[in-house]
Amino acid sequence: MKVKAFFENTWKHRAHVVMALPVFLVMFFIFYVPMAGLVMAFKKFDYTLGIWKSPWCGLENFKVLVASKAQFISMTKNTVMYYIIFTALGTFLNVVLAIAIDQCVFKKCSKVMQTVMIVPVFISYAAVQFVVYAFLNSSTGILVNMMGIKTRFYSTARTWPTILTIVKMWNSVGYGSVLYMSVLAGIDTELYEAAQIDGANKWQQIWHITLPSLIPMITVMLLLSVGNIMRSDTGLFYQVTRNSGALYSTTQVIDSYVLNAIFKNSNFGFTAATSFFQSVVGLLLMLLSNGLVRKIAPENSLF
Amino acid sequence: MAKKGNLDLAPSKKDKIGIGQIILLIMLFAYTVFCAAPIWVTLVSAFADEKWIASNGFSFWPGKFSMAGMNSVLRYGKQLATSYGVTIFVTVVGTFFGLLIMSMYAYAISRKEFYLSRFLSIFLIIPMLFNGGQLSGYIIFTQNYHLKDSLLLLILPLCVTTMNVIILRTYIANSIPNELMEAAKIDGAGEYRTFFQITLPLLKPSLAAVGFMMATAYWNDWQNALLYIDSANKKPLQLLLINIQKSIEMLLNNKSLPATVLAALGGSVPQYSATMSTVLVVVGPIIIAYPFFQKYFVKGLTVGSVKG
Repeated sequence: MKVKAFFENTWKHRAHVVMALPVFLVMFFIFYVPMAGLVMAFKKFDYTLGIWKSPWCGLENFKVLVASKAQFISMTKNTVMYYIIFTALGTFLNVVLAIAIDQCVFKKCSKVMQTVMIVPVFISYAAVQFVVYAFLNSSTGILVNMMGIKTRFYSTARTWPTILTIVKMWNSVGYGSVLYMSVLAGIDTELYEAAQIDGANKWQQIWHITLPSLIPMITVMLLLSVGNIMRSDTGLFYQVTRNSGALYSTTQVIDSYVLNAIFKNSNFGFTAATSFFQSVVGLLLMLLSNGLVRKIAPENSLF
Repeated sequence: MAKKGNLDLAPSKKDKIGIGQIILLIMLFAYTVFCAAPIWVTLVSAFADEKWIASNGFSFWPGKFSMAGMNSVLRYGKQLATSYGVTIFVTVVGTFFGLLIMSMYAYAISRKEFYLSRFLSIFLIIPMLFNGGQLSGYIIFTQNYHLKDSLLLLILPLCVTTMNVIILRTYIANSIPNELMEAAKIDGAGEYRTFFQITLPLLKPSLAAVGFMMATAYWNDWQNALLYIDSANKKPLQLLLINIQKSIEMLLNNKSLPATVLAALGGSVPQYSATMSTVLVVVGPIIIAYPFFQKYFVKGLTVGSVKG
């Protein structure tokens, strides 16, 4: 009587059921119901009817997507490009910074500096946007004032991959390095002492002891981030660029496109098809990367 | 991680302070300056003279200081106070509510003898793999739940995240001895009492770390506000910032500004020191609070990274 045993167990642990209930409900209504809402990619959406009652239209929305593929390809390309730049450069800088702070002998100094480096992550993009404007705008910006750079940034699309990368690194590297520092803190000091006795210099110690001990964490972080390849830090692309149309060719990512579509209340078929694509690709990559993590470092896999 | 002080590792005190260390220190300092410079510009511009910036541009050390920018923050007076209230309300309620329900869930799924815990763990993980995206969420929240312009939509979407529950569950599994909770039960404490009087107090370091990250997320959330909030008395600070930017843009694009409006604005559109003052007022509290929580969240992240 497995079923009976199950119910008996559940009844015995009814207190746990009650405790789990609030999160269960919140997740159900906030996360799960919108998942079902993705069916609108296969419907001819009518706002007055809502998602469930709108008529089915098969693959029509995806046909629209293919027909206007230039835009779809452009924003997918931007999304993936920024993901690659941010992840590669970000991981590299996180590790370099973590090792640098770890190696610094002026502990008090480096602690204070680290505190300052983490601050940018707490500033919302709605506020960062004003700060970036103070640097870049063409009449009073610091770049034009102090360095004489006359580029009109807010209408020159090709400069934005660099600008957004700098802003993103400014925002996230200090905070990102904390995770790696916690790994460095776990390295056995005796390893370094033994290496010193064997005559290894600082660089050799970093190369042969510090880096190898970071590799598992780096691998895991990279693999886990693969599932987010189609998602972006919306604030960066929507706020920092001031959502300027002139810059879309290099700054429009899927998430900011969807946000704009919601505000313009338009093109829901195309947008729904794009969202569907985004979610499904995300799911597949997530399963793939988790499978890889499970092969390499089972204890770090998500499930 | 038994090591005290967390970071004082590789180089021992016996190390000579060589030229390499000096170069390292200079490079770290340079990066610190890079991180701090934009914040510094915000700070000094907030106290700089509006007209001086308009003619000389932003700089790291404005030639003329004034309190006019800060005073003009008061121009948003009532709205600013309301927005502060909304943001504080959402942050406090969301963080405490989220922490409470997430730690209860984490506790429930960490009980191995509870059969449903496997199902609940899977239920927890799925949203990490697959999500409905912004569009479908927007339509369902506004059209099916009729929650447009409701503060609930500022609170609920951020109050539960899979990662936070995992961090809490990991902490319960690794750092709180199961025997303690068993003992409480033998002494006759019920499930609820065990949770609230034994588990929850011991969970404090993890709660502080997760709580601070949640509070930051609430404080900085602009997207839900922009999507869902319309009425002025429910506008959080971040939305106020966005509105200010929009209205400045509108004023600047509108060449034929009536003289009376200009006069009321003090001769020109307040776009430099006034906005920087507002930015300062909005981001200030989180930056001031953060050093007090720093030690917790380094710890909290460590807990999160060493899973299971």
